[in-house]
Amino acid sequence: MSAFFYLISRSAKNRLAGLARGARSPRYLVAFAVGAVYIWAFLIRPVNRGAATPSLLGQPTEMIITLLAVLTLMGSWIFGSDATALAFTPAELSLLFPAPLSRRALIGYKLFRAQIAVLINSLIWVFVLRRGGSALPGPLRALSVWALFSTLNLHRLGAALVRTSWREHAGAGLRRHAWSTAAFVLIGLAVLAGVVQHRHELVPSFGAGAFFTALGRALASPPASWGLYPFHLVVAPTFTHSLPEWERAIGPALVVLALHAWWVLRTDAAFEDAAIEASAERARRVEAMKSRRTMGVVKPRTATSTIALASVGHPAIGIFWKNMLCLRRTAQLRLLIGPTTMAIIIGGAIAGDEGGVLGVVAAGALIFAAMLVVFGGRLIRNDLRQDMQHLPLLKTLPVAPGDLMVAEVASGALPMAALQLVLLLVAYAASFGSPFVPLKHETRLALLVAAPFAVLALNGALLTIQNGTAVLFPTWIRLGPAVNTGVEALGQNLLSSIANLFSLAIALIVPAIVAVGTVALLGPPRAITLALLVIVASGVLAAETYFALRLLGRAFARAEPLSGA
Amino acid sequence: MIQVRELAKLYGTFTAVRSLSFDVGVGEVLGLVGPNGAGKTTTLRCLAGIIAPSRGTVAVAGHDIQREPIEAKRALAFIPDEPHLFDYLSVEEHLRFIARLYGVADVDARIPVLLDELELIEKRRSLPGELSRGMRQKLAIACGLLHSPSVLILDEPLTGLDPAGIRRMRETISARAAAGAAVILSSHLLHLVEELCSKLLVVRRGECVAYGTIDEIIAGRPELAGRSLEDVFLALTAEAQPEAGPAAGPGARPPA
Repeated sequence: MSAFFYLISRSAKNRLAGLARGARSPRYLVAFAVGAVYIWAFLIRPVNRGAATPSLLGQPTEMIITLLAVLTLMGSWIFGSDATALAFTPAELSLLFPAPLSRRALIGYKLFRAQIAVLINSLIWVFVLRRGGSALPGPLRALSVWALFSTLNLHRLGAALVRTSWREHAGAGLRRHAWSTAAFVLIGLAVLAGVVQHRHELVPSFGAGAFFTALGRALASPPASWGLYPFHLVVAPTFTHSLPEWERAIGPALVVLALHAWWVLRTDAAFEDAAIEASAERARRVEAMKSRRTMGVVKPRTATSTIALASVGHPAIGIFWKNMLCLRRTAQLRLLIGPTTMAIIIGGAIAGDEGGVLGVVAAGALIFAAMLVVFGGRLIRNDLRQDMQHLPLLKTLPVAPGDLMVAEVASGALPMAALQLVLLLVAYAASFGSPFVPLKHETRLALLVAAPFAVLALNGALLTIQNGTAVLFPTWIRLGPAVNTGVEALGQNLLSSIANLFSLAIALIVPAIVAVGTVALLGPPRAITLALLVIVASGVLAAETYFALRLLGRAFARAEPLSGA
Repeated sequence: MIQVRELAKLYGTFTAVRSLSFDVGVGEVLGLVGPNGAGKTTTLRCLAGIIAPSRGTVAVAGHDIQREPIEAKRALAFIPDEPHLFDYLSVEEHLRFIARLYGVADVDARIPVLLDELELIEKRRSLPGELSRGMRQKLAIACGLLHSPSVLILDEPLTGLDPAGIRRMRETISARAAAGAAVILSSHLLHLVEELCSKLLVVRRGECVAYGTIDEIIAGRPELAGRSLEDVFLALTAEAQPEAGPAAGPGARPPA
């Protein structure tokens, strides 16, 4: 364990030293200052207790967090764990796997290492919850969040290990993990039975509060509450409002955490030594795929079919073609399950009682399209955020850097825009069958006509921001095919998503001024002028984006691989 | 074909390459040799346009790599020791991608010939993750050769190749040079360098310690006459002989 501690502590120290060296350059220094101000303003700045909204820590939030935790963990069981659950870096694999270490020691190291991410994200959430109105002292909040994230992390690791056993030993693996498998199935059945049992209350409960109230009742009553009980125990301390309440809640949460640790470490006994070799073999394949920091969840599918590409023409089209194949072979539909579910739930709540089923479809499709603007860039990464790993190759290609930037950003922006347009068309079509539609038909049609311009401009701008970060600050961001999607990484993801949106808001200032000026010129917008307004504003944003891409092209031309001689 | 003048590359206060000047003409093969950390890869990366020189100029096929990068890069191929491949493109798709970037019109005719030459024809639909290390290196070589570059820059190109692959690569380098390509070959395999290269550039700590044909270099160090290239290399790069440099003989003098 001392060797593991040495490895982790020295790695962290050297990484911090590397970041500090990088911060000596003016570009990194400015970014560091902006980041520090952002973190201070968003997390640390003293809050007005009176103005804090206590609803963040209310019963509905606790219920939703519990449900989200269960759904995330179910995803780990059903679809396999995400990128981080069993992740070992190539260096760890080549040095630790052949070393005389037991599998238990390797799992222990993995748990130990995961604590870094857990602790960082716990800290972020401590500040977020403080702003949400928690009255608990900071250290107690931190302990609560740490227990929650650690348990979730352990559960995902345990699920990954059990699934590995299923895959490698088939029936024998199932028998070895009969208890954990049975527990997972029982929890799933209990939640499902609870929802089915209350379906008559849930289905007609469209309305902002009614649906969540009905869902809350369904989950709070048996049999769903039995299934959710262990998770409720873990989530509860984070949402307590007083010290006595917290003291009652933290004990059971720590017991659940300890049980998870025991379960994961005990899983070791169920594996033969050959499992290490199998893991190493998988790792070698992953290393071959050069997904340097992740464990092969985005392994490309076999190249059974391709997309035709003419051998002559603008070279940037070649970059776009390559990235389309990337998307086709690495896209993970399971990543869309969460946003789809949320869009349906929120759509149902927005549509209200009078909206009907088609109203839910329309609202859900609109919400989904909007969510793609916010989160799409995290799900679709077939652009420079992957290609920066191949910087030496890219720099030898005879493609103008500005053209390359446009092609890379278009690779993500166009597929996202296409998906959003389909969703908007669905929403438009469904709106005809819904008795409750807040906008007139002419307005809806005008917005639909303007939508292609708007979604292209918005996606292009947001992806330019994210690709620009990869070009300007490659050492500060995670390059590669996947991001950490674990629940314990929610804090980091939240911070970066809000930062991206903040940057977009700055980019929208000029389009907004142009739009306001146009309204002042033309008077209050009618349907056709509304469409024109959106198109003009989108054009301005697109022009800004194009200008930014050209500048980023210059930065890309100056970018150098990190390795030296 | 390749003109390098006063090339220098600094990383902060560390000088990786110090004032290198050399030429590689049509049909010539220049061997770039030196101990680990001598600045060979940095030099080659400057030549390929991957990194910008801190000082000096590099011209490829008459185009300055900094001022006219697209034209210069269109003429050259850089094959690194570690193949950079896209995980999600098959062998054939890699070649089609490269063909589009370099505007290779007759790609359909070239691909089977190249894949056959490099024994990849049966793997044309495989992804890099399904290839062995040597096959991935062969694919990187195929990508480099597809557009018939007039300048070939090879950084340890034989890493991971089997004996048959090494022989074939040797023949390929000779054939490309004979067809008029200017080749720079960096390798620690001195017998390969001796066999293929018409000129040598020996670097140590980023500095040129010898430049010219082997005969010219030995003429500048008569005590090395009759010794193997390995002995010559060790003598030239030995730390105990810092005076061994351009002044050592006429062959070590870089072009003006």
